[in-house]
Amino acid sequence: MSNVLPKPVLRLINEFGRLPGIGPKTASRLTFYLLRGNDAGLAADLSAALAELSENTQYCTACHNITEQNPCEVCSDTERDQQVICVVEEPLDVVAIERSRMFGGVYHVLHGALSPVEGIGPDDLKIGELIGRVQQGDFREVILATNATLEGDTTASYLQMRLADTAVRVTRLARGLPVGGDIEYTDEVTLGRALEGRRELK
Amino acid sequence: MRLTHLSLTNFRNFGRLDLPVGAGVTLVHGANAQGKTNLLEAIYYLATTRSPYTNQDDQLINWDAGYEGAQVVVGRLVAHVDTADGTRHLELRLIRELKGHKTTFRREALVDRRKVRLLDLLGNLRVVLFVPTDLDLVTGSPASRRRYLDITLCQRNRHYCRTLSQYNKILEQRNALLRQMAEQGTRNNQDVLDLYTQRLVEAAGQIFAIRARLIDTLARDVQRIHYEQLTAGNESLRLLYRPRLAGSDVDETESADWLYNHVDNPTIIAERMQTALADTLSYDIRRGATSIGPHRDDWVFQVNGRSLRHYGSRGQQRSAVLALKLGEIAGIKADTGASPILLLDDVMAELDGTRRQHLITALQQMPQAMITSAETTIFPPDFLAQTEQLAVDGGRVHSVI
Ligand SMILES: Nc1ncnc2c1ncn2[C@@H]1O[C@H](COP(=O)(O)OP(=O)(O)OP(=O)(O)O)[C@@H](O)[C@H]1O
Ligand SMILES: [Mg+2]
Ligand SMILES: [Zn+2]
Repeated sequence: MSNVLPKPVLRLINEFGRLPGIGPKTASRLTFYLLRGNDAGLAADLSAALAELSENTQYCTACHNITEQNPCEVCSDTERDQQVICVVEEPLDVVAIERSRMFGGVYHVLHGALSPVEGIGPDDLKIGELIGRVQQGDFREVILATNATLEGDTTASYLQMRLADTAVRVTRLARGLPVGGDIEYTDEVTLGRALEGRRELK
Repeated sequence: MRLTHLSLTNFRNFGRLDLPVGAGVTLVHGANAQGKTNLLEAIYYLATTRSPYTNQDDQLINWDAGYEGAQVVVGRLVAHVDTADGTRHLELRLIRELKGHKTTFRREALVDRRKVRLLDLLGNLRVVLFVPTDLDLVTGSPASRRRYLDITLCQRNRHYCRTLSQYNKILEQRNALLRQMAEQGTRNNQDVLDLYTQRLVEAAGQIFAIRARLIDTLARDVQRIHYEQLTAGNESLRLLYRPRLAGSDVDETESADWLYNHVDNPTIIAERMQTALADTLSYDIRRGATSIGPHRDDWVFQVNGRSLRHYGSRGQQRSAVLALKLGEIAGIKADTGASPILLLDDVMAELDGTRRQHLITALQQMPQAMITSAETTIFPPDFLAQTEQLAVDGGRVHSVI
C-alpha cells in the first residue's frame, strides 16, 4: 500500500504507530477516520490540543509535576498543608491520590523509580531535588508513596536512608488488604504486610 | 485429584484438541513426531506453568496459528480436574501480540474462569514427569539440576516459588548494578548496591532454609525407596544439598552442615551470605555477576558414600533417577494426601527388564498415569489389557478400542 498513499497520510500513520499500544492497523484506521472528516472539527481540535500540550505545559519547579502554571496549583494553594510532602513515582500517581480526597498536603514527583536494569540511578530521578527541598524548607513529614514493587520499595528505602539525618518524620504508605478482598484468598505476602501495618483501635 | 478433560488450542502441533481423560493408566502411542511428547508437556505445563524443554514459552504456540501479520495469537490450555471439593477448571493462555514493530508475549492464568496470578495455578494439578533426559540429571550441569529442583519444589510449596521469583528479580537488578559499577566506578552506586544486597540476602536466607528442608524430605523418600524397593537393601543412596552460601574457598560439605544447623534461622543464614558477598565484591564487579547465592546451588547423589556422577555405573545412575521420581510421588502424596498424575515419556525403552518391571508396578498403583511409547510391543500383554490406549497422529488423538 505504501507508495499509492500521499506522504502526509503515510506520515500520520507512522506517527500514530509510534504510540504505545497502537499497531500498524490501528494507526491506519485512526488516520483514515480523521481523513474522512465525519466528525467535524476533530482533526483541527486534535492538532490544537497537541500544540497546546507542548506549548502550555511545563514542570513545576517545586514538585516536578506537570502543570500549566509554575509553581503548580497544588504548590501555590495556601489552603493545603505545605508542611507535608507525598513522594510519588509518576504524575498519574498524584491524580490517583487526589481522587482519594484523603491527602491535603503537597507532592514531589520523582519521575520513575530506581532500576539498574533500565539504567535508572538516583541521579536520573528528582531525588537530589527532594533532599534539597526538605533541607531548605519547613516540613513536618515526608510520606513515601512509591509503588509496592521491588523498584518502588528499593527507591523508598533509598530515600529513607538519604533523609535519615534530617529532622523530618518519614513514613511509608501502609500496604494491606484490597477493599472487597477476602482474607482467605489473600496471598501471604499481602496478608503479612497488612498485619505489620495494623492500627490501634482502642 | 484426577484430570478428567484436557483441551488445547494452538499448543505445539495441536491446532485444536478436546480429550476426555480416563482414570488409571493411559497409553499414548503413535509414530515419531506426531505429538505424544507435546501432549504430556501440555499437562505438565498446566500443573507447573513451566515447560520441561524450554524457557521460551512463546515457542509453545502453534506455528501455523493466526494469519500472516495477525495482531494477536492465543494458545490455550484447559484442564478439568476432579478434586475433593468438586471440579476445578484450570486455564492457561499464551498470548503473542504485535504492537507496532514489536511482538510481545504474556501469559494469563484462570482458575474456575477467574483470572489469577500464575502462581495461583500451582497446586491445583500435581504431576510427576519422567523423561529419558532425566537420566542426565546425575551427569548434567548444575543449572539443569537447579531447574529440575525448582519446578519440583514449587509444586510442593507456593511460598518457595514466590520467594524464588522475588529473589531472581533482585538478583537481576543487582547484577545490572555490578556491571554499571564496572563501567562507571563505585562512587555513586555503593548505597544502592547495599540496598539490593540487603534484599538479596533476606530472600536468599529464606530460600536456603526452605530448600534445605524440602531437599531433606525428598532425600529421605528417595533413599528409602532406593534401598527397600530398587536394590533390595544392597546399596545406600544419598541425595545431598550443596548450597552456595560461602565463597569457593569453603568446603561444600561444610557449608551444607552449617546450613542444616541454622535452618531455623534465615536471618543468620542471610548474615553469613552477606559477609561472603562482601569478600567477593571486587571479583563480582569485575565479572558483573553475583557469585554467591542460591542461584549457584547444586545437589548430588552418592552411592555407598561415593559420587554417583563420577563413580556410578550407568545402571546405578538409572536406579537413582528412578528412585528420585518415585520419591517425588511419595512426597506429594505425603504433603497433600493425594497422588500426583504420573507422566512417563518414552522411558520404558530406556530401562532394562528389572527396572522396567519396577516402573510398571509403580504405574499400576497410580490412580492416574499417562505413558507414551512409539512401540506397544515392549509392554507385557496383561498390562496392555488393563490400559486405555490413545493413538496420536499428526496432532490428532483417537481412542483405540
Ligand atoms: N510450536 C509448534 N507448532 C507446531 N508444531 C510444533 C511446535 N513445536 C513442536 N512442533 C512439532 O510437533 C511435532 C511432534 O512433536 P512430539 O515431540 O510431540 O513428537 P512425539 O510424538 O513425541 O515423537 P517421538 O516419538 O519422536 O518422541 C514435531 O514434529 C515438532 O516439529
Ligand atoms: Mg516424544
Ligand atoms: Zn508543584
